Parts: sequence; C-alpha cells; structure tokens
Amino acid sequence: MRNWVIGIAAPVLLLVAWWFLSANSTDPFFPPLETIIVRFRELWLFEHFQSDVLLSLGNLFLGFAIAAIAGIALGFATALVAPVRWMMDPLIHFLRGIPPVALVPIFISLIGFGTQMRVTSIALAALFPTMIATVDGIRSVSSDLMDVAKVYRLTRKERVLDVLLPAATPQIFSGLQVSLQVAFIVMIASEMLGSSQGIGAMTLLAQQSFMTADMWAGILLLGVIGFLVNILFSLLRRKVLSWYIGSRRLARAS
Amino acid sequence: MKASVRPYAFSVVGVACALAIWQVLAEAKIAGNALPPATTVFSTLATILGTGTFWSSLGATIGIALLALALAAVAGVAIGLLVGSFESVKYATLAVLEFLKPVPPIVILPLAVLVLGPTAEMSLFLVVFGCLLPIVMQTVDGVQGTDPVARDTARSYGMGEGEILARVVLPSAMPYIGTAMRVAAPAALVVTVVAGLLGGGPGLGQNIYQAQAAGDYASLYGLVIVLGVLGLLFQGVTRLAERRVLHWHESYREAVPR
Amino acid sequence: MSNSLSTRNRKSTMAQQPKTRLSASTPRLDVAHLAKTYGSGGKARTVIEDLTFTVDAGEVVCIVGPSGVGKTTLLKCLAGLQPATSGRAAIDGRTISGPPPEMALVFQDYNRSLMPWLTVRKNLVLPLRHLKLSAAELRERCDGALAAVGLSHADNQYPWQLSGGMQQRVAIARALAYRPEILIMDEPFASVDAQTRFDLEDLCLKIRRDFNMTILVVTHDIDEAVYLADRVVVLGSRPARVLKVVDVDLPGPRDQITTRSLPEFARQRTEVLSLIKRPA
Repeated sequence: MRNWVIGIAAPVLLLVAWWFLSANSTDPFFPPLETIIVRFRELWLFEHFQSDVLLSLGNLFLGFAIAAIAGIALGFATALVAPVRWMMDPLIHFLRGIPPVALVPIFISLIGFGTQMRVTSIALAALFPTMIATVDGIRSVSSDLMDVAKVYRLTRKERVLDVLLPAATPQIFSGLQVSLQVAFIVMIASEMLGSSQGIGAMTLLAQQSFMTADMWAGILLLGVIGFLVNILFSLLRRKVLSWYIGSRRLARAS
Repeated sequence: MKASVRPYAFSVVGVACALAIWQVLAEAKIAGNALPPATTVFSTLATILGTGTFWSSLGATIGIALLALALAAVAGVAIGLLVGSFESVKYATLAVLEFLKPVPPIVILPLAVLVLGPTAEMSLFLVVFGCLLPIVMQTVDGVQGTDPVARDTARSYGMGEGEILARVVLPSAMPYIGTAMRVAAPAALVVTVVAGLLGGGPGLGQNIYQAQAAGDYASLYGLVIVLGVLGLLFQGVTRLAERRVLHWHESYREAVPR
Repeated sequence: MSNSLSTRNRKSTMAQQPKTRLSASTPRLDVAHLAKTYGSGGKARTVIEDLTFTVDAGEVVCIVGPSGVGKTTLLKCLAGLQPATSGRAAIDGRTISGPPPEMALVFQDYNRSLMPWLTVRKNLVLPLRHLKLSAAELRERCDGALAAVGLSHADNQYPWQLSGGMQQRVAIARALAYRPEILIMDEPFASVDAQTRFDLEDLCLKIRRDFNMTILVVTHDIDEAVYLADRVVVLGSRPARVLKVVDVDLPGPRDQITTRSLPEFARQRTEVLSLIKRPA
C-alpha cells in the first residue's frame, strides 16, 4: 500500500516540480512547462493532427505490419527449406549488423523523400528482428512435438500452422517487439532526414528554428507515442500468449 | 564429408547471387546513379580505407560508443543496485523508468543537439541515455533475483550490508548485467551512428550524411558496408567477452528474463 | 529363440478376449532382425543389433531393459519416425515405412508431447481434424476418451495447469480418441509419483479390456512390466538384442494388491530381473 502511494506520488511530484521550477524560466533551452503544454495542444491536437500525427502513425503501422507479415513468412521459408537457410544465413547476419537508421539514406537516394520511402525504410529495417526470431523460434521447437505431429499423421499444412507457428509464437513476439522499436526509430529518422512532414520532421524543424517550446512538445508527443505503442503491444502479447505467460508463471512458482 | 560442405557451398552461392543481382541491377541503371555497381562501391571503399579521415571517423565512432558504454555501465549498475536494494526507491522510480524504457534516444536527439550542439558530447549523452535504462532494469532484476538463502547465509556469517552487496548480490546479478551489456554494446554503436547521421556528431554517421547529401552514392554504400562489418564485430566481441567473464556461471545463457 | 513364441499357447486369461487376428500365422506386429546404426564409417554407433519379436492382436507386451539400451530408438522405428538400418518391422505383414494410420504413440515426456497452447480438449481434437469427422462424432470421441481416463472435468484447462499424472492421462486420452488399433507407450509412467503410477497401470489394463487394443509398453520397471504384460520382451544392452521373451502367467483380472502379492508374480519378476542383472 505504502509502496503504491510512493509509486504514484513520485512522478506526480516530479511533474509538479518541473511545472514550478520552470514557471518563470527565461532559459532559451528550458521553457516553462505551461508553455510546452499549450503548444502541445495547439500543435498536435488541432493544427497538425491530420497532416503530421496521423501521417506518422499511419506510416509506422503500415511499415510495421508489412515487416511483421513478411518477416514471419520469410522466417518460415528460411527455417523450413534448408538450401534457402544456407543461402540467406550470411546475408541476414551481415544485414543485421547494419544500424537500421543507416539504411535510410540509401532508401532516400533510391526512392526519394515521399511517404513510399518512409514506409519502405520502416518495413525493411523492421523486417530482420522478426525474421531472425522466427527462424530461431522454429528451429527450437522440440523434436518431441514434431514427432507427435508425425505419429498422428498431421498434414503438412497442419504441422506448419497448428504446431510450428504456435510453438514459435513466444519467440516471434520477442522479435516483433524489437521490430516495433526499430520501426518507431526509423519512422522518426526517416522524417528527420528526408521530409518536412511528420512528427519527427516538425520536431527537428522546431529545434533548428529555435522554437524551443514546439520542440519540447514534439519530444513529449514522441515519448508518449513510444510508451503507448509499447503498451498496446504488451496487451496484444498478453492476449495471444496467455498460455505461454501462464505456463511460465506456474513453472517459476514451482 | 560431402553433406557437411553443402551448407557452405550454398552460402557462397547466396552471397555470389546477391552481388551478381546487385551488379546487374546497377548496370541496368534501374535507379539511375543512386545504385552504383558493386564493383564501383568496392573500389571506392578501398580508396576510402586509404584515407586518414576515414580512420579518424572510425576511431571517433568506436571511441564514443565504448566510452559511453563504460559510463552507462558504471552508472547503470550503481543506479540498479540502489533501485533494486530499496523497495521505496524502486516504487518511486517505477513510473519514470517504465515510461522511459520504450522511448528511444532518437526522441530526445533534437534537445541534445539544441543544448550541446553537433559535438562528441552530444553523441556521448545520447548513447549513455540509450544504454543506461536497459542496464538499470537488468541490474534491478538481478538484485531481486538474488537467492535469499545466500543473502541470509552471508548475514549469519556476520557480513555487513556493504560486504553482502559486493560479495553476494553483485556477483549473482552479473549474468543479468552481462546480458544487458550484450544488448547494449551493439545499441551503443547504433546510437552513435544515429547521433552522427541526424545530429551531426563526429564519426561515420556524419560521413554517411555527407555522402548522401553530396550525392556520392558509392561512398554511401561503402560506408554502410563498413558499418555492417563493425556491427558484426561489436556483436561478436561482446558475446565472446560475456562468455569469458561469465564462464563460471553455467546458467548465464538462460538469464534472459525479458 | 523368440520366433518359437508366436506359436505358443494362449493364456487362459486371454481366452475371453475377442480376437481380431487376420490369420493364425500373421502376428499383428512383427519385428524381424531389426537393426539401427547411427552415423557411418568410423563414427558408426550401433544402437540395435538384431531384434526379433512379435506382438499378437489384443496382447499387452512389455519391453524391458537397462536404461540407455535403445528402447526409444526401437519405438521410433516402430512408429515410422526413423527408418531401420536393416531388417524390418511390419504391421499385418506390411512393412512400416512411415507413421502407420492404425497406430498411436504415448510419449515418455508428457510435458513435451502435449501442445501447451491448446486446452485439453483441443489437444485431443488436433490429430482428428484431418479425419474429417462429423461434429457429433468428434465430440463423442473426445468425451469418451476423457471419461475413460477420468478427466471429463478438465477438458477446458490447459495441460500445464494439471499435475504430471493428469497430463500423462491427457496424452493417453489423445491416443484413445484417435482410436488406434495398436497403442505404443514409451516409459509412459516414468515421471509420475507411485500412486499415480498404479492408477495409470490399471488404466492401461482397462483400455485393453474396453477397447481391445494391442498394446506395446516400453518400461525400465520390471514390476510394472510383469504386472501389465502377457509377455515381457527382455532386452540386453549395447547394442540392444532380445535376451528372452518371458510368458507372464498371471490370472486376471489383475489387481495391484492381489496380483502383486502372488508367489507367481514374485517368481516371474525374479526371472526377468535375473536376466537383466546377469552380465551379457
């Protein structure tokens, strides 16, 4: 009980302290929190909601969805067809070493600055974590489970969709979580590097033109989005993987 | 014998195919000058490797990443021990940590550039920000995962709280910290590049930005290849280091609760 | 030596069982000179050298042997999961080359053979889906199998929410719902406590009575083998070969207390034990 009071009070106190300490701030870098919040409301909830906020989020989800589907599909192909795996392995490992954001300049030079470039960058950069996790997940499915599937003569389709896929889901979801982070980062980076639209572009633009309160508002919005997207994902994971979370909890308790 | 060679043969074929496709697409000018042929990229890369600027950029990138990683490790473990040892501190910081955890350093990049300018300090700050939280979180998990029996045993032998922390809690948290470092090291490199690319901090990221802005696509591709190799090296070295440092801990592989 | 056993007299206790034999000369399951070697050349490791035994329709046969003797390898060959290196295993005279449709297998490790993401009932349904049964038949088979193992109340739970013994019963129920003619069990009761073990052994005998299945059980527990079996195939180790096939002559219906206290029970378990203990 006492702990929860502390847990709620501490961040509230922090915000209150920020509010009062910055109230009459004339420091160009740290404007009053009140000003930031006013700008936040003006910028994101009205003026730029559709043109920038929705645009960014749309790119993020579209890119992530493509990455998720393609990553899982390619992961299955790679894990199940040995020659494909042997051919892809060194390439995957090399591409994994490249910081995802470093790919953005290449996509800009190839596709230009449009929405298409941003979605492509997000999708391709976010593809690898899911794909690699899927391969690992499938390869670690216990041979006992596959023996069961064979003895009971499950069809090939059943073996893939009803045994391998669910058995690999915990690892696929770990990959998806990393992919989501990468997608978020690349979304911001693609906007900062090659665009005048989107939350990332607006925030960087505000910084470059010394509109500090606008920049703070942008940072705040990006932080909140990062946090909320992560929560949404956790909720989805908890729903899909309830069997896994439950069995792990039981295993730990015993 | 024959069967064991086959995977490598396929790997060679795979890499060769990728290079050949690249070369053909580039020669066909499907993307104009934006996709230079593989041969051009590799000869440009060879030229770049002969310049002093490249090596000083590489040095700056690695230096910033490693220094920031060291700072983040020291600060992260210290904060983690503090947060993990006291319930009230843990609850007080819970909300802030949970909020900041999914927020990548690129979000505060504009602020860092505004205050610190396009400098090495700015890069350093961003990398520390990016690596600190995972290390803190893992350390907290490690501290709380300490076997209470070991703790009680130490107490019954008359060890003080400080001694218990150093001799019992810290060693048993090591696998968690090792895991955090393995994740943080490649991330440190990535953030250093991001800081250079988007914030103008020194290093390879800045070179990539300049190459792209100048339309020097062969250099752009060459530098990205260098980054790929560097990334692999970082992953390999940290994995090796973790194995060496934690060889005594049989279960260090399983110590990945997240 | 084991060849002679297919012509042996049937036990009086078995006479009441209806038989579904094809002909007197074709055993249900026929293992002839089966051998399995892993690897080749200098690294070759022969796990099974030359195994020959038969199982008649409606029989319970137990295979016992020291641990590490290659019992699991044998079962994998019988289930069509691995090809034999030489010799053959056949069902009704047909050589086994892949998982036979009339066979079900209960694995040793229940917590790695049940799908943790499926409820108990869905675990039972999974192998039945490609049989394209009607909804009513599907329900009837699952209800019947769950009732047979006493788990009707647990059909909506997940396997990992159940105790070890209950999980193994789910695995058995899955095999029952599949309606196999031949049921093979690999050390099915090895990882459950003693009381559950007795219950599961009796369940095994009840299944044989109710469903008239041919059952082959691999175990390292000699008492269990003697208690369950009409015949016990005793294996010697490294590489595995048949030491002897022991006819178990115990009256039925068997019962954990009375059967196990019979002098005949003690005599037969001693016989099997001495075969295993004797240096090969």
